[in-house]
Amino acid sequence: VTTVWSDETDRITPEELQIVTFPMTRLGRRGYEEDAVQEFLVLVHAEFVRLMNERASLWQEVQRLRKRIVAAQADGDSSGVLFGEADAHVHAVRILSAAQVTADRYVADAQAYSSRVTEEARLRRDDIVREAHQHSDMILEEAHARAREAAVTALNEAVPQSPSPSEREWQAAQAELAYLRTYGDVYRAHMRAYTEGVLRGIEDWENRQAASLHEVSDGQPVARRSISW
Amino acid sequence: VDIVRLRESFARVAMHGDEVPLFFYSDLFIKNPEVRDLFPISMEAQRGHLVEALVKIVSQADNAEELGAFLSGLGRDHRKFGAVAGHYDAVGASLLATLEHFSGPAWTPELAADWTAAYQLIASVMTEAARVDENVHPPWWKGKVVACEQRAFNISVLFVRPEPSLDYRPGQSVAMECPARPRLWRYYSIANAPRPDGLLEFHVRLVDGGAVSLALTSAAMAGTEVRLGPPVGVLTLDAAAADRDLLLVAGSTGLAPLKAILEQVSSRSRPPRVHLFFGARTAGELYDLDSLEKMAAQHPWLTVTPVVSEGPKFAGETGSLPDVVCRKDNWSGRDAFLAGGSEMVRETAARLASAGMPQDQIHTEDFGWSEL
Repeated sequence: VTTVWSDETDRITPEELQIVTFPMTRLGRRGYEEDAVQEFLVLVHAEFVRLMNERASLWQEVQRLRKRIVAAQADGDSSGVLFGEADAHVHAVRILSAAQVTADRYVADAQAYSSRVTEEARLRRDDIVREAHQHSDMILEEAHARAREAAVTALNEAVPQSPSPSEREWQAAQAELAYLRTYGDVYRAHMRAYTEGVLRGIEDWENRQAASLHEVSDGQPVARRSISW
Repeated sequence: VDIVRLRESFARVAMHGDEVPLFFYSDLFIKNPEVRDLFPISMEAQRGHLVEALVKIVSQADNAEELGAFLSGLGRDHRKFGAVAGHYDAVGASLLATLEHFSGPAWTPELAADWTAAYQLIASVMTEAARVDENVHPPWWKGKVVACEQRAFNISVLFVRPEPSLDYRPGQSVAMECPARPRLWRYYSIANAPRPDGLLEFHVRLVDGGAVSLALTSAAMAGTEVRLGPPVGVLTLDAAAADRDLLLVAGSTGLAPLKAILEQVSSRSRPPRVHLFFGARTAGELYDLDSLEKMAAQHPWLTVTPVVSEGPKFAGETGSLPDVVCRKDNWSGRDAFLAGGSEMVRETAARLASAGMPQDQIHTEDFGWSEL
């Protein structure tokens, strides 16, 4: 029975409690990110409950076995002290059932974890898209404002007293040209900076993903909890 | 066989809840270790299925026709899991051992004889159905994933070549198992009418934490081989009147079965009028709108209305699908086919019914549980 429980490797250990770190909150605020701490507390709590339950059931098992030994000794029967013959199979069934329940819990935990990670990723993606929309609106707005300025400047440059119709036409064309040129320049510069920033982010992400996959394939233990925090 | 006695006995055993299937499978695996490999790692869902099936069998024990149909389906269904005739004896022995264990002193030789006879009957119906099915279908089809297109951040379209070719009716679904998630089968609707090259199209939406959908939407799926079960489902045009116009309401990847039906209709010499509503959360998730609009441009009998529930910038219809659909018309003269999230389907069906559409013109199928 004990082998089932001692096999559980992926659990919080006292050592981990000593070395756990949390990300700092954004600039301007002190302390750790509250969600990360909360999440960790939930894990610690679950671990405690699990330990207490296991302790209780182990204690019961010890008591049961003790009683059996005492009873068997009183009967003078030393063979099959712990279990009778038919009992052995039922006992094996119980052990396998306990192992199965443990496996089920691991799968369920992993599923829940993956669910949380995908949900977070989805929400973050929504944020990024929304920010990008705002950013592009801002770029357009600024390009428009600067271009209008350029056009007005071009119109005001060296205005003759009474321009002839063809001069007026030429001037308007100049203004429009200045507008479009400035609009294009500003827009292109912003767009390039923004796109490069996004590409850098993707590259960084890819490198980190490759590194973590490498770590997994090397068979090194992956610090599961450090991924989310 | 004394059915009343069997029911009493089952009720007594069932009081022990999840312990019962847990004991059953552990007993089965200890006595027959090679069978363990036919099941997924987590047995939680499996235990639920077993209890569900037992409850159904016991409650229908005096309804030979319905029980027979259920057991035959179960027997055919188990072929793709790799169940063979030899396994039935092992399952019977473990079932008896489980019933005995939880019955305690109530277990008598008469009861044992009754359960043995009942199980033999169950097993014979299941194995016979499986045997007949062997002449018609392979236990499962190999499916080569020839392409995997990511259409939205959370939706991929898979093109699969089944081997041997697979006969189905547009609107039907198949269970699918992929190599990354062995022994986990999920139902997906085929999204096209049968094509000369036999390719099957599947629309897969990534579900948060969905073990199978996560694997299926990965780009690494291209080139791999999946397994497909036999086609199932009744969301087909057979259920509709031949000459009635159609209303199709698709939420997200619920589009798949309806697109297959749409393709089937388009090959008719005189297609009925069809109005398709295609809904998604955001405009970016209307993952198949291009091809639908191309179809609508070609066919005057087809109208396509995209609907977005969360995008204020969307130029077309915005709001929930049931709202938008029922705002347009009462549709009572049409046959309605609804597919998508079970909540949307239920709500739309209820609204159409209360707007005057007869129940037998509303066609739905709930595969919501299979989406994970």
